[in-house]
Amino acid sequence: MVDLGMTYPNGKVALADVNVAIARGDFVFLVGPSGAGKSTFIRLLIREQVPTAGNVTVAGRDLLRMRRSQVPALRRRIGIVFQDFRLLPNKTVWENVAFALDVTGTARAVVRRRVPQLLNLVGLHDHAHHLPTQLSGGEQQRTAIARALVHDPAILIADEPTGNLDPVTSWEIIQLLIQINELGTTVLMATHNQEIVNAMRRRVLALEAGHLVRDESAAAYEREY
Amino acid sequence: MPFLRFVGFSIVRAWQGFWRNAMMSLAATATVILMLVLLSALFIVITGLNSGLEFIESKVAVTAQLVDNLSDENRDELIAEVEAYPGVASVDYVSPAQAMARLRAFYQESGRELDLGATNSPIELFGSLEISLTDPDASGDVGASLAAHDDVERVLTKQAEYDTLLGIINVIRTVGLVGIGLVGLTVLFMIINTIRIAVYSRANEIEIMRLVGASDSFIRWPFILEGILCGLVGALVTIVLVAIVWDPIQPAMVTIFQMPTAVSTQFLTTLSVLLLGVGLGVGALGSWISVRSYLSAVH
Repeated sequence: MVDLGMTYPNGKVALADVNVAIARGDFVFLVGPSGAGKSTFIRLLIREQVPTAGNVTVAGRDLLRMRRSQVPALRRRIGIVFQDFRLLPNKTVWENVAFALDVTGTARAVVRRRVPQLLNLVGLHDHAHHLPTQLSGGEQQRTAIARALVHDPAILIADEPTGNLDPVTSWEIIQLLIQINELGTTVLMATHNQEIVNAMRRRVLALEAGHLVRDESAAAYEREY
Repeated sequence: MPFLRFVGFSIVRAWQGFWRNAMMSLAATATVILMLVLLSALFIVITGLNSGLEFIESKVAVTAQLVDNLSDENRDELIAEVEAYPGVASVDYVSPAQAMARLRAFYQESGRELDLGATNSPIELFGSLEISLTDPDASGDVGASLAAHDDVERVLTKQAEYDTLLGIINVIRTVGLVGIGLVGLTVLFMIINTIRIAVYSRANEIEIMRLVGASDSFIRWPFILEGILCGLVGALVTIVLVAIVWDPIQPAMVTIFQMPTAVSTQFLTTLSVLLLGVGLGVGALGSWISVRSYLSAVH
């Protein structure tokens, strides 16, 4: 992100002068109070929105010059999970994961091979035929992570993935994200969870009122000096 | 293969969508049927009247009654002259004796006897020329030229009947098309709303599809096919309805409107193609408008 700025039509400045480079394979926390610009930051990365100033390059692609028809290909390079899981309630775990492949025209044979791999990775092989309502919060988030990984993305963005989970389950999800990161996927996690950020000692990007106020490696949630 | 996957995916999703939202889908289909039934009725009436019009055109267009005691030479000259008029296809001479024979035959057909009062009646009919035209619009000019001729007593044309029928057809066609246009707009509106409800009820799915990198066509086509399905089911039901009522109507079309048998046997096929085309077209257009406005709003 170079000199990135985002001002909404109502005049609200969501981001201003943000300069960040995230290397491949990094594990980065994005922290800051509500309304600091974390969600806008993520929306710009997945090209839900186009910045009003500066530029964003993701996985070698210039998002400002990207045509609308190229956006789906970009999104297959980025996996995303949310606090509220966003699973389809009438589909089983297997179907929720397979859905992401079906809607991108993946061959049936590939779907049959890929879905069990991912369910094994997230530890849900035994729950493949359960509906989301039959799962715990942690299991639902694992399903969402499996779905986010179906296209073997270069980047996994997690927007408050532990926001709805108890501390023990939260740690399980973090362990899973670390495992995915160790397999080579860049992970960007927006969070309010101080305990996790402090314990992990990874790179921290802190936003306040739309400005990047901190970019530190091996850092804690709050400024320590 | 990816294309086949896309087609299979879209059809399955459209079918699921149609039944998930069954009440709205069936209501939209019912309005399609209403529109297509009206269209069929108009098509039947217009085709019938057009057949009648063609029948009149094909019959003798101008009859010229000749003056009494016209010599054979003068008559042949007149025939040669009329044959040279622009728009004239052929000229046939009907002698007074032939005219009388026709009159007797006409009476006999309707079960009566022609009574002329005496066995050797002095009553004689006019000799006449029956003129068929290559261009029905020429009947005015041909009639005027004949009326001005000294050897012609009186000119009878089918122009008035022709004009009346053409006028009726034009009025029915205009009123019918305006009516169908209004019903068509209602149908379009119903389909737009049906698909819009379907789209909103699946907003979560659409959002997930966009986030995992589904292309616009994967998002859009299942809904468009759902609209097309409303049109298709509507057209098929209407075709079955028309096929059921066509059996008793067909003989009437032949006798009342003089519809040629070749046209009447092909009629159902022609109408089916029209109904399918209109049904599918309205379904596709309505759903396309609906999906397009939604997708451009979320992007």
